[in-house]
Amino acid sequence: MLGRMQSVRVGLAQIAPRLGLLEANLTRHHELIDEARAGGVDLLVFPELGLTGYQLQDLAAEVSLRLDDPRLAELTRATKGLSAVVSFVEESADHRLFIAAALLEDGELRHVHRKLFLPTYGLFDERRFFAAGDVLRAVPSRLGVGVGIGVCEDFWHLPVPQLLALDGAQILINVSSSPGRDLAATNEVGLGTATSWRTLMRTYAQLTTSFVIFCNRVGIDESISFWGGSEVIAPTGAALFSAPLYDEGLFMVDIATADIRRERIGLPLLRDERPELQVRELERIIAERAGLARDATSDPNAEPGLDVAPGFPVPRPIGFRKKAGG
Amino acid sequence: MSAATPAFELPTELAIDTDVARRVIGEFIRSQLRQAGFERAVLGLSGGIDSALVAYLVAEAIGAERLLCVLMPYRTSSPASRTDAETVVARLGAAAEIVDITPMVDGFFGSETEASPLRRGNFMARQRMAVLYDRSVTWGGLVVGTGNKTESLIGYTTVFGDNACAFNPVGDLYKSQVRQVSAAIGVPDEIVRKAPSADLWPGQTDESEAGFSYPELDRLLFWRIDKRRSVDEVVALGFSPEMVARVDRMVAGAEFKRQVPPIAKLGPRTAGVDYLYPRRRPGSERG
Repeated sequence: MLGRMQSVRVGLAQIAPRLGLLEANLTRHHELIDEARAGGVDLLVFPELGLTGYQLQDLAAEVSLRLDDPRLAELTRATKGLSAVVSFVEESADHRLFIAAALLEDGELRHVHRKLFLPTYGLFDERRFFAAGDVLRAVPSRLGVGVGIGVCEDFWHLPVPQLLALDGAQILINVSSSPGRDLAATNEVGLGTATSWRTLMRTYAQLTTSFVIFCNRVGIDESISFWGGSEVIAPTGAALFSAPLYDEGLFMVDIATADIRRERIGLPLLRDERPELQVRELERIIAERAGLARDATSDPNAEPGLDVAPGFPVPRPIGFRKKAGG
Repeated sequence: MSAATPAFELPTELAIDTDVARRVIGEFIRSQLRQAGFERAVLGLSGGIDSALVAYLVAEAIGAERLLCVLMPYRTSSPASRTDAETVVARLGAAAEIVDITPMVDGFFGSETEASPLRRGNFMARQRMAVLYDRSVTWGGLVVGTGNKTESLIGYTTVFGDNACAFNPVGDLYKSQVRQVSAAIGVPDEIVRKAPSADLWPGQTDESEAGFSYPELDRLLFWRIDKRRSVDEVVALGFSPEMVARVDRMVAGAEFKRQVPPIAKLGPRTAGVDYLYPRRRPGSERG
């Protein structure tokens, strides 16, 4: 433990993993770890499934790693003197496959985050091939700050960055394989996906008063191209660095951890959060949506989870009808 | 025609960032070739805008010296088409070959006079496909598709003919967007401006055959499909209910042309059903 660092040099490994070629990607990771160390990087972040590529389908089971895999141990040993976030297919003891991101620090495996939200809509089909994680934890880092890790879609769900920040994260890290789409000329950088992500990351940084590190891959798997555009956002919501779209590279950015304190003193949003209020209201909403409690404020004919009733009576299937006089 | 006349009509909602498009497409072309273990490409150059654009995109991605353009006229093909194709070849400096498909087509139909233009057109498209796949071997390059999104959606393609390819860099661009990227990349102005045609008989144009203009059709398809608007919603945008109904029918009727033929599911694992691998996977490179 180095104690609180004044300045953290972040390395963004905006790489193009080769689909299904675990050994080739491992070699690339070792090279970049060496390069980053030589450049004085404290925290090196690789993208989602950087060790395997994204569009794996049935290859997922062929490139999966157990946490005791010697190849993962070797990669972990290679992190002497720095911290790294790497991502791969993790196979659990009961043979479930997870999209995992691991925090490796100074030769030790410190934390594994299993992707919580698996998009299975539009061009995504993750639930067909992967299991979803169940645990979200912020963890202390040798950098002297709390770190929270999410994988891609995890950050399209509001509670994730908030829970991580409440749990002690001061740096939120999102590793992604985000496919670029919607080239409409009206988008700020010519790409709808980039516009959405840039909006989200700035918003999360400001609302959690934390640094946000977003590392997105480049390259092509099958039909889809990944757009890069990795970023580091300050706790004020201001972008400190935006990597170019589509270019492969190792980008380095220095962040001052004192900015976290400054922002949280000046804008004490985290201090004022009301998690107990959320728990109370969520418990109520969960019961109402399950039909186990009546929503006191909804229209009489409203369906569970929606306060407004349709303008006409909707017949309810047996088992969902209200008891006579109820 | 004054210099200020726009070369084409580009509906606002269809305008894309052509720099980003060229970047993505360039990476796509290089990636497809690399994953298959090829360094060269071959395509059929008709003289029309779609194949001209793909020739420019391939040349930009891998260099014109790695591209073979095959011109495959039939005896009724317009001489202007050939001139335009030759202009593209000359401007790019790509390799080119002319294969007259007349003997192949006339040899098959012979004196059969009742063969409809549809049958003849489809047969020509499939002969051209056969020539390209043969040249794929002799040139040592992958066949690059040139069909656009508009014609794929309405089914204005020949299955296993012009839609046959190893990969397609422009299949997600509407015709209007093909024109936008073509203008940006430097496809000769006369090709960008001319009326699109299947060139099956003199004077034929896509738009006169279909009965609506490409910008109009592209806009309708964009709102119906990309933006998931209902029939009522697109009618409220100003499209006639008749046009909407007709285009919806065309799109649904062409579904089979856009998909791999289904295999009867019998064994434990079946390609495309529950045997699902990336098309290019480790070990799939040409040996």
